[in-house]
Amino acid sequence: MFDQVDFSALELPASARALQREVREFLCAEFAALDFKPRLGHTEFHAEFTRRVAARGWIGMTWPTRYGGQERSYLDRFVVTEEMLAVGAPCAAHWFADRQTGPSLLRYGTEEQKQRYLPAITRGECFFALGMSEPNSGSDLASVKTRAERVPNGWRVTGQKVWTSWAHKAHAFFVLCRTAPDAGNRHDGLSQLIVELDAPGVTVRPIRFMNGHHHFNEVFLDNVFVPDARVVGEVGQGWKQVTSELALERSGPERYMTTFPLFTELMRRLGSTPDTRAAEAIGKLAARMWSLRRMSIAIAITLDPGPDSEHGTPKATVDLATEAALVKDMGTFYEREIIDAARLLATVEPTPEASDTFERYLAETIVCAPVATIRGGTTQVLRSLIARKLLGPLK
Amino acid sequence: MNDRSTQMSDVRAMLVESATRLFGDQVDAKMLDAAKRDGWSPALWKIVEDAQLPLVSIAEEAGGAGGSLSDLAAVLRIAGRYGAPIPLAETALAGWMLASSGLKIPAGPLTLAPVHGEKITARKNGARWNLSGTMQRVPFARIAGHLVVLAAGPDGDIVACVDAAHCKITPGRNLASEPRDDIVLDNVAVATGLVAPAADGVNHFTLRERGALMRALAMAGALERALELAVRYATERSQFGRKIGQFQAIQQELARFAGEVAAAVAAALSAAGAVERAQNATFAVASAKIRTAQAAQEGALIAHQVHGAIGVTDEYALHHTTLRLWAWREEFGNEAAWAIELGRAMCAAGADRLWPALTSD
Repeated sequence: MFDQVDFSALELPASARALQREVREFLCAEFAALDFKPRLGHTEFHAEFTRRVAARGWIGMTWPTRYGGQERSYLDRFVVTEEMLAVGAPCAAHWFADRQTGPSLLRYGTEEQKQRYLPAITRGECFFALGMSEPNSGSDLASVKTRAERVPNGWRVTGQKVWTSWAHKAHAFFVLCRTAPDAGNRHDGLSQLIVELDAPGVTVRPIRFMNGHHHFNEVFLDNVFVPDARVVGEVGQGWKQVTSELALERSGPERYMTTFPLFTELMRRLGSTPDTRAAEAIGKLAARMWSLRRMSIAIAITLDPGPDSEHGTPKATVDLATEAALVKDMGTFYEREIIDAARLLATVEPTPEASDTFERYLAETIVCAPVATIRGGTTQVLRSLIARKLLGPLK
Repeated sequence: MNDRSTQMSDVRAMLVESATRLFGDQVDAKMLDAAKRDGWSPALWKIVEDAQLPLVSIAEEAGGAGGSLSDLAAVLRIAGRYGAPIPLAETALAGWMLASSGLKIPAGPLTLAPVHGEKITARKNGARWNLSGTMQRVPFARIAGHLVVLAAGPDGDIVACVDAAHCKITPGRNLASEPRDDIVLDNVAVATGLVAPAADGVNHFTLRERGALMRALAMAGALERALELAVRYATERSQFGRKIGQFQAIQQELARFAGEVAAAVAAALSAAGAVERAQNATFAVASAKIRTAQAAQEGALIAHQVHGAIGVTDEYALHHTTLRLWAWREEFGNEAAWAIELGRAMCAAGADRLWPALTSD
């Protein structure tokens, strides 16, 4: 594992440190200006905040300048992302486009698609959602039933997507669908299409989370026309496209930091002279966080294609899928360790209405805790994937 | 940080390759079994000393082999992986104490003392110093030629290179039968040329810190070994008509184990880099010792569970690794001791320093 990484040399250079300070100052100022109080559990959607982040050049910041990017390093993007998470910044509006849609378009998209979407994403004006899961396709994503039929100049798409976060506020979403019947190899015949959410035949309905919040949706596609120009990459290659760039998605700081502000508030509550039990818990949480961060940084840097890259997409020659899966597996459990430490050290009865920040964070994170080990690949699926890599083919 | 800086330098890669070959070729079940009885392997020591591995990271001007602390870290991880039954980390640490205090490094295996912070007194007596005190569980003391002792002199701490023959040594051992010996220094005379004021940065705290780092690195390597053995066994052993690695229950455990190993490697090597840069080193070393000890706890038990009954026998190799993990996690402070210290320091600094502390390297 991590054979190609020299952990002892992993260090933030001065430019990343400067960026770190810049983002901290920005967040401090913007939270005050927008009178924003974070909620934990689900990153919030805040279009105005996203526009302000965009104005700093921090959306699509690793992308080529001709598409609105800054050609910054993956480490710089890592620094921005972790700073946002450290204070619970509301990044949902640009999250998926910055992390997934943009890089996919850079690698597989047509010039027209890049011109149409990427600059708008970096300006904080175009929001994307992801249309992967379906009522009968969760972990087994290749079993999607949404199908596209060939018509002159495009496709007619019919089906249903679920758990589509923020589809009710996004402009478009990537839809994984079947463009050819399953003829034996189920990974063939899948394609990725861009569906704009105001297209005729698209219906978005809320699926409420157990605490009443609305971020999930189900999206019905009823004979929606998608022109050929909105096919991403090659028809029939959707599976490869979807799975080829999971390493960054699974290893980012969002996999271990969504409950981090609770850690900070826990320390505030414990004060400067904790008892032994509390000190031990804090020390352990810090040690685990530090270790996860080192792994996450290592993956970001190793996948960085470097300044000469054509695409601004992860280096294709490095396979860190297993390491990334490990980070997500351990990271999502770590998020719960923070919740448990907070709960057991503070002994408060959680209520979402708490006026105290610590108590409110605790209530929010407890309720959202089950999600982290499900989205982006369940713990069990990830572990099977890791084990297959460890064991090789067994007969 | 560009791509180049995160990938191993050529020199490091060569060092790793030659150390892997050396330990891989030399350390076998026979050697490890003999070391259980003898406490070490003099034959392996000879080869490792000839290869100058104990002197890596000590400047050539000071009689070392050159290289960085990260180079030494890479070697210690490999030595840990093979369970090399020699005082490699101890000699390297003792050599660092001597070299940084301007003293000559003698040939042969060395160890450092004390390792539990006991106070040793040093009095000047003409052309000699006299050292007195007792020290518990000093690693490899009975096979070391010299003990490099940190003692309290009249004008501050001194470092003394003490001939082991002049010490009263009561043998002891850790769970893996590595020597951990109690020592009495009863007015032991040491020539002035073998004594020097302790250099800046050589004190009880840094001894414990560096010791913890060495054990973290060794544990990272040992965990890699335990995982290799468990994975291999899962691909070879059949039950219910299938390889046990085909059962999801086993796969889930192996995957969890792999995570622990990856975290241990990342933490231990990262901490070595932090100590080398002298940057936020206490935070990093504490984190590394905590994380590797936790990984040792989880990993050793998964390794045994996957192996079933064969893994707990002395004829099967796994115990050489797991016994060392269980011993090393306690040495130079276990995960609870370091976590309490780290937690107290962090709370004293305050909640608003948490994030800056985590992101300072």
